[in-house]
Amino acid sequence: MPFVEIAGFREGNARAWVLTIVRHTAYSWLGKNRPATLVVNDDVEGVEGAEITSGDAEAETEMIAKADAARLQAAIQKLPPPFRETLVLRDLHGLDYRQIAKVTGVPIGTVMSRLARARRRLMTTIARDENDATA
Amino acid sequence: MMLPPDDEPKWLVHAYVDGELDPANARAIERRIANDAALAAERDRIEALGRALRSNFPLTPPPAALRERIERAVGLRRMPSRPTWLALAASVALAVVVGSSSSFYVLAPPGDPTADAIVSDHIRALMAPQPADVASSDRHTVKPWFNGRIPESPRVVDLAKNDFPLIGGRIDVVERNPVPTLIYHHRKHLISLTAISAPRKPDAAPVSRAIEGYNVIEWTGDGVTYWVVSDVAASELAHFTELFRSTPSDQ
Repeated sequence: MPFVEIAGFREGNARAWVLTIVRHTAYSWLGKNRPATLVVNDDVEGVEGAEITSGDAEAETEMIAKADAARLQAAIQKLPPPFRETLVLRDLHGLDYRQIAKVTGVPIGTVMSRLARARRRLMTTIARDENDATA
Repeated sequence: MMLPPDDEPKWLVHAYVDGELDPANARAIERRIANDAALAAERDRIEALGRALRSNFPLTPPPAALRERIERAVGLRRMPSRPTWLALAASVALAVVVGSSSSFYVLAPPGDPTADAIVSDHIRALMAPQPADVASSDRHTVKPWFNGRIPESPRVVDLAKNDFPLIGGRIDVVERNPVPTLIYHHRKHLISLTAISAPRKPDAAPVSRAIEGYNVIEWTGDGVTYWVVSDVAASELAHFTELFRSTPSDQ
């Protein structure tokens, strides 16, 4: 009964609480329905993101700013699940680091590093896509 | 926020852009960014990515059918006549989690309770050790800080060249609703500017009044009611209001 846990979110907000439930539910569903395709890399913290391309910084910023929904979505889907969920909770749902730490059950430092790596991977992917397209 | 021991500057820039650093660390990273073009470029990229994500994927309300299924799944029964606190809390939660920012509004009657709350919050800020929850003169830091804490971050404009430098932001509570407040500085006086979402309110020109010795100006534009409170002279506060209204913000 998820309502029982509402007391655990005494200081937090309702959004973080609901997302915790949604996350649990989604992972149980995936566990039951898609065991063969869900690959969770437990050593994901050891996976280092590629360095951002060392081109023209302003051009890269422009490229990122102009990325459309399809490109962003494709790039997000390439992220390992822990990176993806951290990015989605922060940049699409607007949770703060403390709330993300609570929802995903990891220390705040891990939230910070996952978010930084997730964003750098997105930037790299978007920049690389653009370079491939114009090559 | 405690920082991991193996942090690297580029990670700190993310936390800085997200408004997650305490004032001392925020100032430290601001100084590093000012002296390091690579860090400044990283900050620009992070902000560009954030804008791209927010503009391409705004939160949208779920279809009614999905909402009903969720409510059934968690054993929630609609009781329209007298909702239990649980049902109410869950509906609010669902609305918050899936609602777009535009669906949020505060019913703020133009009466005295709001004005009193605004003035009280300003007085409390003057007495607090720090008037700001996020201390930064950079609007690109202050604005994102509100994201995630409240449904809508306010319009933030830079008026430093007009002698009204931005010094930070805080969340005030007005009639039990958290609302964003920007803090500007003017000749050793603080100006609190509170933005209360009011999408159904028609635009209204600035109206001045004095409450408890503080000058207060209220106006409504583009579905937001703004309240400005300060102990600067009424004419200077009116000048600030004019500048704020006429200066465009990036977004």
